[in-house]
Amino acid sequence: MRRGLILASLLLFVATGFAVLKQSRSLTPVGNTPSLTGQVEYCLTCHADLPVISQSHPVETFGCVLCHGGEPLALTADLAHSTLRGGGNPSDLTVVEASCGGEKCHNGTPQVNRDHIQRVTTSLQATYAGAIAQVRYAFGAQPDLTAQMGIFAIDGLSAFDPTAEASPAIQSFGMNCLYCHLTAQPLVGDEYSRWSGCSACHSPSPREDGTLVHQLTTSVAYTQCDKCHNRGNYSLLDIKFHPREDAPTDRLHDYYQPIAEFTRCEWTLDCIDCHTRQEAMGDGHIYNNKKEIQYIRCRTCHGTIESLPLTYTITDENDLALRLAFLNPKVDLKVGDTILMTDKGELLWNIRALPGVEGTTPSYELFSKATDQRLTFSPVIGSTCQQKPDQQDARDCHECHATQR
Amino acid sequence: MRPSFYDHLHPPTIPAAQARLRFTLGAGGLAVFLTLVVGFTGILVTFFYIPTPELAAKSVQELTFLVPFGWLMRNLHFWSAQLLILVAILHLLRVVFTGAYLPPRRLNYLLGLSLLVICIFLDFTGYVLRWDEGVHWALVAGTNLVRSIPLIGEGLYHALVGGSQPGAATLIRFYAWHLFGLMLILMAVGIWHLFRVRRDGGIAVPPPELRSDKERISRTELSRREGLAMLWATFVLIILAILVPAPLAPAIQEGTASASENLAPWFFLWVQQLLKLGDPFFFGVLIPLGAILLLALVPYFTPQRLSPAELGRWFPHGGRNVQVLVAVIAGVIILLTLLALLPLHI
Repeated sequence: MRRGLILASLLLFVATGFAVLKQSRSLTPVGNTPSLTGQVEYCLTCHADLPVISQSHPVETFGCVLCHGGEPLALTADLAHSTLRGGGNPSDLTVVEASCGGEKCHNGTPQVNRDHIQRVTTSLQATYAGAIAQVRYAFGAQPDLTAQMGIFAIDGLSAFDPTAEASPAIQSFGMNCLYCHLTAQPLVGDEYSRWSGCSACHSPSPREDGTLVHQLTTSVAYTQCDKCHNRGNYSLLDIKFHPREDAPTDRLHDYYQPIAEFTRCEWTLDCIDCHTRQEAMGDGHIYNNKKEIQYIRCRTCHGTIESLPLTYTITDENDLALRLAFLNPKVDLKVGDTILMTDKGELLWNIRALPGVEGTTPSYELFSKATDQRLTFSPVIGSTCQQKPDQQDARDCHECHATQR
Repeated sequence: MRPSFYDHLHPPTIPAAQARLRFTLGAGGLAVFLTLVVGFTGILVTFFYIPTPELAAKSVQELTFLVPFGWLMRNLHFWSAQLLILVAILHLLRVVFTGAYLPPRRLNYLLGLSLLVICIFLDFTGYVLRWDEGVHWALVAGTNLVRSIPLIGEGLYHALVGGSQPGAATLIRFYAWHLFGLMLILMAVGIWHLFRVRRDGGIAVPPPELRSDKERISRTELSRREGLAMLWATFVLIILAILVPAPLAPAIQEGTASASENLAPWFFLWVQQLLKLGDPFFFGVLIPLGAILLLALVPYFTPQRLSPAELGRWFPHGGRNVQVLVAVIAGVIILLTLLALLPLHI
């Protein structure tokens, strides 16, 4: 009896010791109370080494949970991560409304330029409506090229359901060709690796060793665009994706597939140096194909023999151009600066008119958004160019300005 | 000096045969001890728990992760509650299989049975207080079961849930039942049950002239054995609390489907399995009530056939019918529980 008591007491003592040990070894909680929520969260207990995702989303203001979801108080990975939005990617379009949305964030009104989600979810990159319309038209499933269906149902589009299609070719298209739109998981391989949703463009792809990069950026290099674009071709002959087979070794050849001619600025600059927000992210309307929304031409920046490019002078501290320049601080813009503007009134905040002498031909400087290049250029007026103002497609300019490759 | 309640429960001497572990299984004493532990740890966790739908699960997480030794407190509360039900069932089986339910212990048998039922309801209400996705399904299914009762079901549901679906009113009602309603009944019936043990002549034992073993143990010895059992029980509780944390899940989100987990708590798995067979009122309410009723009728089945000489030992002949009945009920419940756990669609 006595021995039993001693043994049990001893064991109990040891067990209590283990409990104390477990408590002393438990994680020291690192709390953060973001000013936007006012609710304490302990994600930083484990994630202290994560870099701040962008200077527009400081952790002291946003914290983690506002965007990522998750259980703010849990200190076990399983529970803490059990309610994450979109897994590791809260920008996935299925959850983007909850993560990035909100009137003051990215789902506000067009008037204050905060309608990103509304624009992106109706954009061709998300709906793929143009390609779907083309293929369905090609195989007789619809009478014209008007976009009727999208990857998901939205506004004027119904959801594309390959299994409901009569044509085997359209069914194959559904099976083999839907890897590029913003809600799709990419093909396997580092060359295709990217996130879905906003992060498809705005976050760097996972590194080759599989580690992730906690970053949101508007400084999107062409290599990010090339995770979908220029990786190969979808063939209507066998309804399959054919990866490009060349092995490019320099920027020119890496940039585009060998299918067309390009001029120098088309590969020394990055895609986003010319292509605008509305072209990439949509403007809230449904378009039938890429051509309808992609409207930037050489003349947008260079003008024609008859006209200079459009300009815009910044008059207000809250000007969109200043906001955009703040997100990607490549150029020191200020009120009073004159920048270029597109036909649709989009501000090319990275192209500034250089101060010149009254009456002489102006010149401009471009700050590349993804590299630190700074290029100055002159308009067509005053040059030897004789291109007619009504013939301004890329192929027209490439007649003289193509690069040999 | 008037004898204290402790002295009331511990006579100067008791027959040694009936104080042996292999006879009592120590189940009654352990049940008392576990009740004290669950009560004490319950008081501690009450200081941290916030009974609102928005904060309930959060406060449980806060207790578990941020309060020093909060996890230990909560895990001990959880494990002592689970073990209490197991030990209470064991105690019930011991009483049935040793014929100890006969007069004069018939009333105390019924008190004990009602204590088991109260404990199960305490466990279920405590489980619901987590208010997280892990309990969502059982909360909805359990309360809907009440609705299936003819005539009074709808009224009972509203009394229990406080609305047309579980919400803030439900949580505060379960909280009140857990802390006051059921607790007060448990304390009253529990103390009455303990009091009756001695009043009924202690643990069931044959009359002195029929005993083969005349040895008796003293009050001190009894206390010492109880102390030993408590040490072991505490050891097991702490080890369980360290190694197997009480379940946690994300908070219930208003308007979400409860699909993350759809298993009832373990002591109701057999009812969940029964529900798969058909009509919820018949399978989910009548059959479980019938099982409890059958158990309650146990003392009335065999009073004439069990002689005093047969008391105080396992499986007395005169109690065969009751032993078979209870064994069958227990077997069916265990079988149904296993079926519910297996990934079979029966």
